[in-house]
Amino acid sequence: MKNISILLFAIIILLSGCSTTTTLKKSVAYEGMYKELPLTVLLMPPINRSTNVEAKEYFYSTLNVPLNNQGYYVLPPFMTMEILKKESAYDAELFLNGTLGKFGEVFGADIVLFTIIDTWDKSAIGATVTITVEYIAKSAKTNETLYSRKGTIVYDTSVQTNAGGAFGLIADLALSAINTAATKYVDVGRVCNSYTLKDFPAGKYSPTYNLDGEELSGAKDFRVRLNSKYK
Amino acid sequence: MRKLIFFFCAVLLLSSCTVQKPLYSWAKYETASYNYLKNSDEKSTQALIDNYKKIIEKQTGTRNVPPPGIYADYGYLLLQIGRTDEGKALLLKEIELYPESKIFIDRILKMLER
Repeated sequence: MKNISILLFAIIILLSGCSTTTTLKKSVAYEGMYKELPLTVLLMPPINRSTNVEAKEYFYSTLNVPLNNQGYYVLPPFMTMEILKKESAYDAELFLNGTLGKFGEVFGADIVLFTIIDTWDKSAIGATVTITVEYIAKSAKTNETLYSRKGTIVYDTSVQTNAGGAFGLIADLALSAINTAATKYVDVGRVCNSYTLKDFPAGKYSPTYNLDGEELSGAKDFRVRLNSKYK
Repeated sequence: MRKLIFFFCAVLLLSSCTVQKPLYSWAKYETASYNYLKNSDEKSTQALIDNYKKIIEKQTGTRNVPPPGIYADYGYLLLQIGRTDEGKALLLKEIELYPESKIFIDRILKMLER
């Protein structure tokens, strides 16, 4: 009897691990976020240090959705990009350790989000893509880092779904110009962004705004295996 | 034993990763957005416009309004293809729905007047 309960307990713990969490409360891990309660987010074009030249676009086109869904006001990505280009501010690397007050002034941004793609490696038989990526959100007022997470995400390309997954999209005529590989890699970007940014404290438009400080935060450094089914 | 089953069920209930209904629906925004970013041709522009329309007209998220940036980016895209009046109206709609966008969008509107 005792053995069974221990076994059951172990199984439950294994099954229930939805994501790796720490014992740190969000209000402690992201103290600055709760102090400043930022609303407006400026997305910087991702810094791509990987060997995949297209990784930047895969990430940029999938960055705003998760943060908007968390309740933030994410500045319109296409408009933002145009202005950054016009102002010769398209290379995010230049601002990573700089002062950000100008972005508050021009864009009305409270925080500036940097994304650094360190690696993007396909496995030899192409069944997985391994991405190492770092996210740093800094206050446009104080230049302090308010949120940072770094992770290695192993994306299993052999798992596909019909509901909204890569193959579902291909059936869409309007999007048929896009090839299979690109569709798949947009999903890699989506999954990385969605997983890493979901730890952001809830923003103003979320029903749990400023109420989630007691929740446990995700690990600051993590390694996780995901696929297209991740929402 | 019954206690144990009860315990098991309770833990399962508590531990299940509850997926809340999202604040907004996006249709196929990410793919359409990537495709436009990459190609900016007629086909990808039209697909992105169709997607913006769907997000605005068939919004099923819990907030029941289009997500931040959609009116603005849609408007900006129309401005670029010469549909100036429609484009400007959409930029103003973004400010109305999300007043925090005013600083940035006013700047763009001023730029257009030059």
